[in-house]
Order: sequence, then C-alpha cells, then structure tokens
Amino acid sequence: MNTVTDPSNEILVDCKSVWKIFGSRAPAAVKAISERGLSKKQVLDEFNCVVGVADASLQVRRGEIFCVMGLSGSGKSTLIRLLNRLIEPSMGGIVVKGRDIAKLNAAQLRDMRARHIGMVFQSVALLPHRTVLENAAFGLEVRGVGKEERHQTARAALDKVGLTDWTSRYPSELSGGMQQRVGLARALAADPEIILMDEPFSALDPLIRRQLQDEFRQLTKSLGKSAVFITHDLEEAIRIGDRIVIMKDGVIVQVGTAEDIVTNPADDYVSDFVAGISRIHLVKAHTVMRPVAEYSAAHPHVDVGSLLRASPEADIGNLIDLTMQSDRDAIAVVDNDAIVGVVTTRGLLRSVAGHPASQATAA
Amino acid sequence: MDISVIADTFDVWTDDALSWISDHGEWLFEFVRMVLETTYDGVLWLLQVPPFYVIAVLAALIAWRQINLLAGVAIGVALAFCSFMGLWEETMSTLALVITATVLALLVGIPVGIVAGFVRTFDRFLDAVLDLVQTLPPYIYLLPAIALLGYSPATALVATFIVAVPPAVRLTSLGIRMTPNEFIELGQASGLTPWQMFTKIRMPFAVPSVMAGINQSLMMAFGMVVIAGIVGSGGLGATIYGAIRTLDIAVSINAAIAIVILTMILDRLTQSAGRRERETGR
Repeated sequence: MNTVTDPSNEILVDCKSVWKIFGSRAPAAVKAISERGLSKKQVLDEFNCVVGVADASLQVRRGEIFCVMGLSGSGKSTLIRLLNRLIEPSMGGIVVKGRDIAKLNAAQLRDMRARHIGMVFQSVALLPHRTVLENAAFGLEVRGVGKEERHQTARAALDKVGLTDWTSRYPSELSGGMQQRVGLARALAADPEIILMDEPFSALDPLIRRQLQDEFRQLTKSLGKSAVFITHDLEEAIRIGDRIVIMKDGVIVQVGTAEDIVTNPADDYVSDFVAGISRIHLVKAHTVMRPVAEYSAAHPHVDVGSLLRASPEADIGNLIDLTMQSDRDAIAVVDNDAIVGVVTTRGLLRSVAGHPASQATAA
Repeated sequence: MDISVIADTFDVWTDDALSWISDHGEWLFEFVRMVLETTYDGVLWLLQVPPFYVIAVLAALIAWRQINLLAGVAIGVALAFCSFMGLWEETMSTLALVITATVLALLVGIPVGIVAGFVRTFDRFLDAVLDLVQTLPPYIYLLPAIALLGYSPATALVATFIVAVPPAVRLTSLGIRMTPNEFIELGQASGLTPWQMFTKIRMPFAVPSVMAGINQSLMMAFGMVVIAGIVGSGGLGATIYGAIRTLDIAVSINAAIAIVILTMILDRLTQSAGRRERETGR
C-alpha cells in the first residue's frame, strides 16, 4: 500500500471497507453483513441496528484537501470520527501514516491524536474560561510543552489566521468567524500532518464563510497539510477540495475531483446536487473539447491551425473570453505545441448548461 | 398480632444495637467528639478573639470587593447591629458552627460528588441514600446522636453536617456529568489523558454547579441552627430555644434577626463568588 515513492502521492489516511453500525446488536449485525451481505434496510429490520457508514473506502494523500460532502444523516460526521477513532469502526481497517489505528493502545492513540491528527469542530468548542492564546495553546499544553514555548507557537498560529491582536481576549468577546479561526489556530499550533475539519464553517454567515474557505485552502496548501473537510455544501466542497467524496445514507456514492463530479455525476442523486453548480470555473478545455478530426469533418473549409489557441487547463470562463475576442466559432486546444482538440461555441454552451460533454457533437 | 411481634422485635434489636454500639464504640465516639469539638472551638476562637468591629469591617471589605460598595456598607452595618442587640457572642458561635459543619460537609460532599459524577451506578445508589437523609425528620437521627455523642456542640455539628452534605454531593455530581459533549470530544480528539480530561475539561465546567452546591450547603446548615440549639450547640439556636421555653418573644425575635442577617450575608457572598466564576467563563 505504501510502495508509492513520490512523496506527494504518499497515502496518509487509508480507509479500507469501513463499516459503522450503531445499536445494541451491532456485533451480530456485522457478522450477518459479512456472511450474508445484508442491505441496510435488512440490518434495520432484522437487528434494529442503524448503519452509519457502509463499506467506505477512501485514501487521503499527503498535501491533499479531501472533502466529504453529504446531507445530514449521510454518515459524514461518523466517517470523520472513524479516522481518529473517536468512533470505533465495526468492521474494516483504517491506516493512518502507515499504522493501523485499531491496533493502537490508549497511550499510542492519544499520541496519534495529539501529534498527527488535529480536529476542528463545527461548535468550535473553545474553552470559555481561557483566553484566545491559552485556547490556541491547548493542544501543546496537554502534550506537556512548556508555557513559554507553547505560547510562542500558539501566537505564531494566531498570526497565521489573522488574530494577532486578540490573544488576551476571551472567546465570548469574538465573533463566530473569529472563534472558528481560533479553532483552526488551535489545530495548527499542534502541527499535525492531517487536520480533520468537521463542518467548521457551516454556522457562519455566507460572506465570512467564503472568506474563511479561501484562507483555509491557502493556509493548508502553504503549510503542506492534508485535510479531510466535512461539509453539507457542495459549493464549499468545490471551492476547497482537491478531491470530493459524496456520501448518501452512509454509502460513498462518488469520489473524484470537482470537475469529475460536475461533468460526470455517478447517479441521479449526484446530478441533482450538481445541477445548480456553475461550471464556468470548473470545467476545463480538455473536457469540453472534441477531436480535431470530428471538427474538420464538419467544417472542411476551416483551417484548424488558424483558430485562437487555449491550453487544456483553460476553464470555460477563459474559453468564453477567447471566443468573444475572435470572429470564429471555435478554439483550438493546444498541448505541447500540438493541437489536441477543438472547442466549439456550441460545445461551450452545452457544458455551461450542464449537458454531458459526450453528447456534444461538432457543429 | 404477628405484625406487632415483628415491630416489637425490631424495636428490641434497635435498642440493643444502639447500646452495643455505645458500649463497644465508646472510644471511637469519644474520639469523634473530641475532633469535632476541637475543630469547632478553634473556629470559634478565631471569630471571638477580634472585637466585633474588626469582623464587621472585614466582612464589609470582602463584600465590597465581591459585590459592590452598597453591599459592603449594608453588611458592615448589619453585623454591627447584631452586636448592638447584645448577641455578638451567640452570633459568632452560630457562625462557627455553620462554617465548621459546612466545611466538613464540603470536604466529604465534593469528593463523593465527583466520584458519583463518573460512576453512574454509585450516583443512583447515592440518590436513594440522600433522598432518605433529606426526608428523614432531623429528630430521628438526633436521638442516636445524643446517645452516642452526648449533649454537646459535637452533636449539633453532626446534625448540621448531615443536612449540609446532600446539596454538595448532588450539585457536584451534576456539574461533573453536565460537561458539554463537544468539549469531551475536543478533549478526546486532542489526546487528553483521563486525568487531564478531569482537570482541564470537566472540573472547569463543573465549577459553577459546585459553587451553587456550596451555597446550598450553607443555606441548609443555617436551617439547622435552631435544632442544633436544642442538642447543645449554644449560640443563637440555644438563645431561641431558651426564649421558646420561657415565651420570651423579644429575645427570640432578636436572635432570629441575627440568624437572618448571618444567612443573608453568607448567601450573598457565596452566590457572588459563583456568579463571578460564571461571568469570567462566558
């Protein structure tokens, strides 16, 4: 599993067919599922147990922001708590940094949580009787780091989230957005490789939320952290996530980049979700383009080489701008000096409207 | 017929048990009595050595710092009034009784409450015991107490202690159990040891409830003052009991006023301490 040599591809969290079943007869239900492959409904009827997470497999790579999107009750909060064993899995294995966390003893698990997996909560959970600085230093304090050193580290973390001037205030004096920044600073101060974000921005108003999303992404990337980010908001997942997993009723419905999910929804459930999402900055030329031959066949008199050019990574917004600048109805997509495809105006309109690219025919 | 036999047998057993205990446990009760009386005498000595105005000014200063200037002045004047009524010594001896009993009750009640906060079955068991203690008329356990400890401040202390313990236990246990779930989760996710979870998360959140428990213990202890007077506490309780026997209404009212003053002062002071704890919290 860890044979990947490229450090940027190193798998930090590996979740292998994990199940979580809630209820007093969970062990029996687990046995029945592995032996007879019961469905969730059968488990509920037969054992009166609720399946929180069913057969979830996912991998989080180093430096990646991995979003888990789902509505309430989809099992996303359960899933994230399985990753640091706040909830014990009923079945399946979770490997974090090469160690099977189910096999850790209490002290090793505490160490793993204190040093390697940070967590930020929707409720923020700042200790009300401590100052902002003391809250940010909490993770280091419990690890036994000296006061001077932990306050210095916490101050640096608060600088990063823009709260330099608020260190001696109490949480109640801060706005919701600022409190969540403290929550993030607290996680960052402990310097874990992986940060679990449990719907951290859901309770904030839209403007602040957007601002924090951008800051979070930038900060995570610049510090080289990996994050698992839970959200019920697909737009948030798209803004933040390198990859997105969509959950429904405890099952992972689809995993992929934002573009994969928007252009190729796995089922009707996902299509419904992505229907309202703007594709303009998501869908790239390489998805929209059609083969050159197809275009040439339809337009025999047009010289493909004379079209305006764009890179395969240009998004629809760029392509529209280019189209507006030219009197032609198509743009050539160029990769390494070779024309690899053609984007037509019609193709652009189709992708903006959300029609699958495969249906687009050269016009 | 049968039933009365059972009741009679039970009565005989109880009497036998009590006399067995007082015969064989005499050294123990003598020891308990000595410890309680020494403690009580020590506290009383502390309160009676300084003249009344020192205590009054001290209390006023504390109230000023804890609450506000008006409360400080009011408390100083009220204490001076106790002295002008000629009841200073009695007031201080009642205060000594209440403070000693409450402190002892907290020393027992808070640790027991902490354990009960963690161990659910122990909490349920305690609940039944405390219900019994709180509903039992004090006279029921005063009789054996007098039999074992004699007519003395020690008996009064025990009686007061018994009523002061339950609120301390109950509110401490409640405070421990009421830690918001999100903070428990924070503690777990931050890798806290069980001891750190207790000192850094559970205890700070329990403090307001524990403070309320301290306040309630004090109030319960004050409620026992007159009954304590009957079993030999001395102080205002004895004054009132004496006044009741001689139908001296004036004296009984004076003593009652002194009790009310003491109660209100300690109530306000402990409440404000609890409130401050909450306010820095939120």
